[in-house]
Amino acid sequence: MAKSKTIKVDYLARVEGEGALYIRYDDGGVHDVKLKIFEPPRFFEGFMRGRDYLEAPDITARICGICPVAYQMSALHAMEDALGLVPTPELSALRRLIYCGEWIESHTLHIYMLHAPDFLGYPSAVAMAKDHPKIVQVGLQIKKAGNAIVKLLGGREIHPINVRVGGFYRVPAASELKPLREQLLQARDMAAETVRWAASLPFPKFERSAEDQYEFVALSHSQEYPMNKGRIASTRGLDIPVSEYDSHFREEHVEYTNALHSVLVERGAYFVGPMARYNLNYDRLSPLVRQTAEDIGFPPFCANPFQSIVVRSLEVLYAFDEALRIIDGYQQPQEPYLNTEPRASTGCAATEAPRGLLYHRYSIDERGKITDAKIVPPTSQNQKTIEDDLRHMLPKFLHLPEDKLQAQCEQAIRNYDPCISCSTHFLQLHLERSGRVGQ
Amino acid sequence: MDSAVTDWAVISLGNHFRGDDSVGPYLLHRLREKLGDSVDCIENGGDMTRLLEDWTRRRVCLVDAIMAHGRQAGDIIRLNGLAEAMPASVCTTSSHGLNLAEAIELGRVMGALPLQLDIYGICGENFTTSAALSPAVEAAAAKVEQEILKSLMTQTGGPPCTSNP
Repeated sequence: MAKSKTIKVDYLARVEGEGALYIRYDDGGVHDVKLKIFEPPRFFEGFMRGRDYLEAPDITARICGICPVAYQMSALHAMEDALGLVPTPELSALRRLIYCGEWIESHTLHIYMLHAPDFLGYPSAVAMAKDHPKIVQVGLQIKKAGNAIVKLLGGREIHPINVRVGGFYRVPAASELKPLREQLLQARDMAAETVRWAASLPFPKFERSAEDQYEFVALSHSQEYPMNKGRIASTRGLDIPVSEYDSHFREEHVEYTNALHSVLVERGAYFVGPMARYNLNYDRLSPLVRQTAEDIGFPPFCANPFQSIVVRSLEVLYAFDEALRIIDGYQQPQEPYLNTEPRASTGCAATEAPRGLLYHRYSIDERGKITDAKIVPPTSQNQKTIEDDLRHMLPKFLHLPEDKLQAQCEQAIRNYDPCISCSTHFLQLHLERSGRVGQ
Repeated sequence: MDSAVTDWAVISLGNHFRGDDSVGPYLLHRLREKLGDSVDCIENGGDMTRLLEDWTRRRVCLVDAIMAHGRQAGDIIRLNGLAEAMPASVCTTSSHGLNLAEAIELGRVMGALPLQLDIYGICGENFTTSAALSPAVEAAAAKVEQEILKSLMTQTGGPPCTSNP
């Protein structure tokens, strides 16, 4: 009988938050894969109850220091859905612009600091920087341009404070965008170089068979590459309005992790994030980005998760292109925000965080106090797919020495840029007192 | 902040909404009220690469909460970030994989270090979301605030006088 071996990675490096990996396998195959997320639950959904509806964007932004805009955008749109408010095209364009900034910041951090060391054989970005300081310098410069967008529109780079239900507290004059434009033009050239560099990295060959192929899920929109709006679509024919999210997706508690696992009802695991967006919306990318993909021979559909670094770099290039398009066509909104009046209602929204689909749903009472909140972050939606990848991948890599096998597993997890902090998420809290059960 | 009149900056790490982890932003807010525009007060919510942008070639006081076994809540750890090794308890800040020690090391490799880096770590005990600061941590924050103000006063001569005609 084959002797069973176990890989235990107690602390996953270069992912956000505290997670661990446990794999039991032997010559006969892989018997157990658990991506354990043990960061303390964040309680944000409970914490929101009783707070004013206008506070939701600023509070949820605190879930993540890397993608606060995504939380703000989903919260804003969910509240506006509840109140029947439709932002003007000018305000929508500014929201898209700040989201471009966040994609640039977040993707560039992942590409250069977290993922690239895997491909170049370094244990960390610091070790990589010793041999490749220019590469890291380029990454920092590109990221700085993303920070500049978020700072201009959000008031500061991290946890922006200028967005609000109905619009912004303050909108910039066209003259304020001009210096930004110059910075973005320079950084866009660096982003184009990044695509070529990312495409040259050595990728493990890993593709699933047709019957095991991923179900990619992302927003899809007839006019634009998705950020803030669209229907929820999948590569297996799902095509629903966001309002039907709860009927098609379900969260499950799994005993070994603090994060809920999200599944497609009666279908199971699915895959959200840059690859899903790209595979479902390639035609909506700008001509420059499609041409760049063509120049490097990168196909319009990619199912090797190790190549997600190339897709991210294409999305960074797109975000620059899109930001410049918005700036060039900018018309200052007449009013920075639309007025809102609370009413008892429920609203939901999904937007495309850098890591993928982010769903929010809120109920508020007639005074605008939040009575219920549901937040489904991308990482909890990808968790089952990450575990499935490891199950599929390991048989092909079992011949490797254990340290290399472990590195390969960690790299496979980092393909998804998981944000464990974001995904820790708690079941409803039931408090029982004598004679009374409350929540 | 362009309006800063010295090359000093105070930078906080931590999360407003996570109990004692909020001591950095809490302290920053108090200092900002007292220092006005004379010193940059920069809140960092967890992006360590931003530190390289914010601190390069400046003199920096950095404040953060710490979880340290064997230490009491409210204990203060002071370090010279450029000369002393970071104890593990100061390096648990997670920001997509880079921690403070790595940010310093990356700054060293990239030629992006501050000229001076005074680190003030305040030991916390309760990092629950929505919790208030523990009393011991709040008291420690008041001490650190005085230390930083005294240090800045000594080194910069204090905020500019605005009462001259």
